[in-house]
Amino acid sequence: YLPVSVQLQTSFTQQTLNQTLSLYAASANGRQYHSMPTHGIGRWKHLLTKTVKKKKERYQMKALVPWTDVSYGTLNVTVSGYDMTLVEHYAQHVHQLCNRLSIRAALCYALPTRTEEVMLMQEHGTKMYVDAALQTHQRVVQLSSVNTTLCPVFMEVLLKNQPEGVQLSVKEHTEEDFRSRFKVRPELQELMAQMNQ
Amino acid sequence: MAAPCGGTMARPLVQFASCFRRTAVGKTGFRRFSGTSLCRAAVQTERATESASSPWTLMAAVCLQRLPVISAPCSPVEQRFKQLVQQMELENSLLSDHELRLLEDAERMSRKQADNYDSDEENDSRDQDIVLAQDLEDSWEQKLKSFQPAPRVRADVDEDLSSAERCLADSLVLLAEQQVGGEKLWLLPQAQWQQGETLRQTAERALTSLPAAALAATFLSNAPCGVYKYKLPRAVRTDRSVGTKVFFFKAILSDAGPSAAAAPANAHFMWLKKSEMQRFLKPAYAMKVNSFILNL
Repeated sequence: YLPVSVQLQTSFTQQTLNQTLSLYAASANGRQYHSMPTHGIGRWKHLLTKTVKKKKERYQMKALVPWTDVSYGTLNVTVSGYDMTLVEHYAQHVHQLCNRLSIRAALCYALPTRTEEVMLMQEHGTKMYVDAALQTHQRVVQLSSVNTTLCPVFMEVLLKNQPEGVQLSVKEHTEEDFRSRFKVRPELQELMAQMNQ
Repeated sequence: MAAPCGGTMARPLVQFASCFRRTAVGKTGFRRFSGTSLCRAAVQTERATESASSPWTLMAAVCLQRLPVISAPCSPVEQRFKQLVQQMELENSLLSDHELRLLEDAERMSRKQADNYDSDEENDSRDQDIVLAQDLEDSWEQKLKSFQPAPRVRADVDEDLSSAERCLADSLVLLAEQQVGGEKLWLLPQAQWQQGETLRQTAERALTSLPAAALAATFLSNAPCGVYKYKLPRAVRTDRSVGTKVFFFKAILSDAGPSAAAAPANAHFMWLKKSEMQRFLKPAYAMKVNSFILNL
């Protein structure tokens, strides 16, 4: 008899709805204003633990590796030249060689490009005119703790693969080198000088 | 092991700041090279001279190399690839400022030649009519023609085995003729180790004691790169001297000195490529030496 079965059906759906609603009420952040049973099915952020966001610190220098009897400390390999493709490719070659020889390349950065203008004297006259503008590009690869026995092999491979027009320089890394990368702030220096006086 | 090997490790590490330049200006034969070694004034551990002396005589030799000055010539495949890559890059590239200016000037000239030309319609009031880009290009071509590059390969200098300026595209090793036990042999310059000095200092002494001109060299490291053991023949062997051990150190030539061209006693040393060295060295010695000379 129809009306009875309909009543039964409605009561069944009502029961399921009540059950699901009660399930949601039981969860931690129970929000129940959506009546769809699958509401919130994709939520996962509530399952992660809360992490505190780190405040970004000022760029500090990495600790200088001290030299020992069997290894050099932090070394700076500077590649400089006029032709940017050659300089960059050679710097990449140095880096890949270090990876191959398992030398830790701690840091790779570029120093600012210096532009030099070549001025020529005019043939008849005293004025100088600009002939060309040459740009010197520099790339630095910083290595930490090279073994003394590995060093001559490494240096020789570098020297033999050096392209024309590219200068190579290997030096220890010092704090001065690190600080020279930063811009000079004259107002801050004046204020510091005034404070110290 | 006897004192010296331990001595080299215990000595303070010599740090170096070296600067290598590869420019064509200046002396043709060499790369401009400057190296400074800073001796750390650190702890000098005293190794007590052990009374047990080993039966081996110790010597240190220096493998002095002159690096190539110009790049090696390309093989045929490399040349073809280079041309292909250059052509592709040219076709894919944009026009430069100079080329744009050439086009503009040509277009302006053609407009001027036209009948209905009105100079008041000229938009750009720059004085580009005075110096055309084509004129600049012509003057640059003239300057290029008057430039004479030095020849890459000089056959007469290549023949002279004792000149340090031969074979500019390869790296050369110095060989010296030295007296060893009654015979004159062609060897890497070596000297005997003395008490109280490191092996590297012995190698430096070997270099400076050569009768040749002042050779300024930079040593690459304190650690030797190879060793050669020579046992004396049984007849001569005693308890005191079984043979010699030679330790090799690598160095790079920075300057051969001003008298490189005028040294008369040239018969005593030679600059050789790795392939040419095989002719002059003894086989056992050559095998050891070949293992650490890179043929890049």
